[in-house]
Amino acid sequence: MNRYQFEDLISEYIENELSLSKRKEFETYLEENPEARSLIDSVRYTMDTMRSLPKVKANPKFNERLMTRIKSNIDWSATPMPSKGTFFGFTPIHASLLTGLMIAFVFVSMQLFYPESGTQITERQLFADEQVPSLSNPGLNTVNRTTPDLADAEEDSLEIDPKKQQQKDFSKKMHFVND
Amino acid sequence: MSLGKQQSPFVYTDEQLIARFQSGDERAYVELVNRYRDRLTHFVFQFLGEIEQAEDVVQDTMLKLYEKKHYYREIAKFSTWIYTIARNLANTELRKRKRRKTTHLSQMTRDERQYEIPAVQPDVGQDVQNEFVAKRIQAAIQDLPEHFKTVIILRDIQELSYDDISNIVGVPLGTVKSRINRARLQLQAELKDLR
Repeated sequence: MNRYQFEDLISEYIENELSLSKRKEFETYLEENPEARSLIDSVRYTMDTMRSLPKVKANPKFNERLMTRIKSNIDWSATPMPSKGTFFGFTPIHASLLTGLMIAFVFVSMQLFYPESGTQITERQLFADEQVPSLSNPGLNTVNRTTPDLADAEEDSLEIDPKKQQQKDFSKKMHFVND
Repeated sequence: MSLGKQQSPFVYTDEQLIARFQSGDERAYVELVNRYRDRLTHFVFQFLGEIEQAEDVVQDTMLKLYEKKHYYREIAKFSTWIYTIARNLANTELRKRKRRKTTHLSQMTRDERQYEIPAVQPDVGQDVQNEFVAKRIQAAIQDLPEHFKTVIILRDIQELSYDDISNIVGVPLGTVKSRINRARLQLQAELKDLR
């Protein structure tokens, strides 16, 4: 047995946990190295001193303080916490309602603080009232803002103007096809 | 053994008490607190070196016991379970302390400490001497590496069995015995002048 092996077995020797053969080997080393006994005594003294350390006890108000903490934890956990599927603490429905309200608020604020945008809209509305040009109602090149009144017409629409009729006669140009 | 209402809680084992607490009997919880409050305070104090922090850690341990009672399974002893919780919380506190880089007297090395060494004379009270020795041992324990400190406190101060210690720290029995032995050798070297 060497010094390192001896030191490794000191605790087991002191606590009587060595096997018979190991104990014999240990004691043989002690006989051959009497100075090693002082190490055993030193370790034994350290163990005894640690066991005799004054016991530290908890504060007398330990239980009281603990119960207060438990009670406050229970009260805290009883308050409903927002679930994971929330947006800044709001459920999706509430979040959408709030978003809609915010958009409406912004829109109304714009209407109040920027009134020019309102007149432009009314002009657009005027333009929108005019008829959209179509094949049956070909549009005019210029916008005629005045609506014609038949009572004010200078000409009688029943009078046929041959020149105008000639201009409008496309019979020579049109060829009718038999089905 | 029947668990009648008339029986004193002192006849119940720790495992029976935790089972009753899991069923909703809060008196069982109070009894467990009373049984382990001082033991754990002493253990954590030796680990951290400060009584106020030790009490806070033990409070947190008991709070965890209250909130996580259903985590306990009768596979292991109740004492193993609660010591494990206390040890983990004490370790966390120790790591926080290291991050804060706060120097405490108990953490100072031998060269930095300045002790008012009382004269060892016949007229000096034994209490003062004992207090001095206790403080020297506590300081020496604080100087140990963490994995040595835990096992030596559990064995030589808390007087737990090697099996219990092995379960608490989660290392094999042989490793526990080896660490305890080396911790003792280191402590005796540091406390040679006390003899």
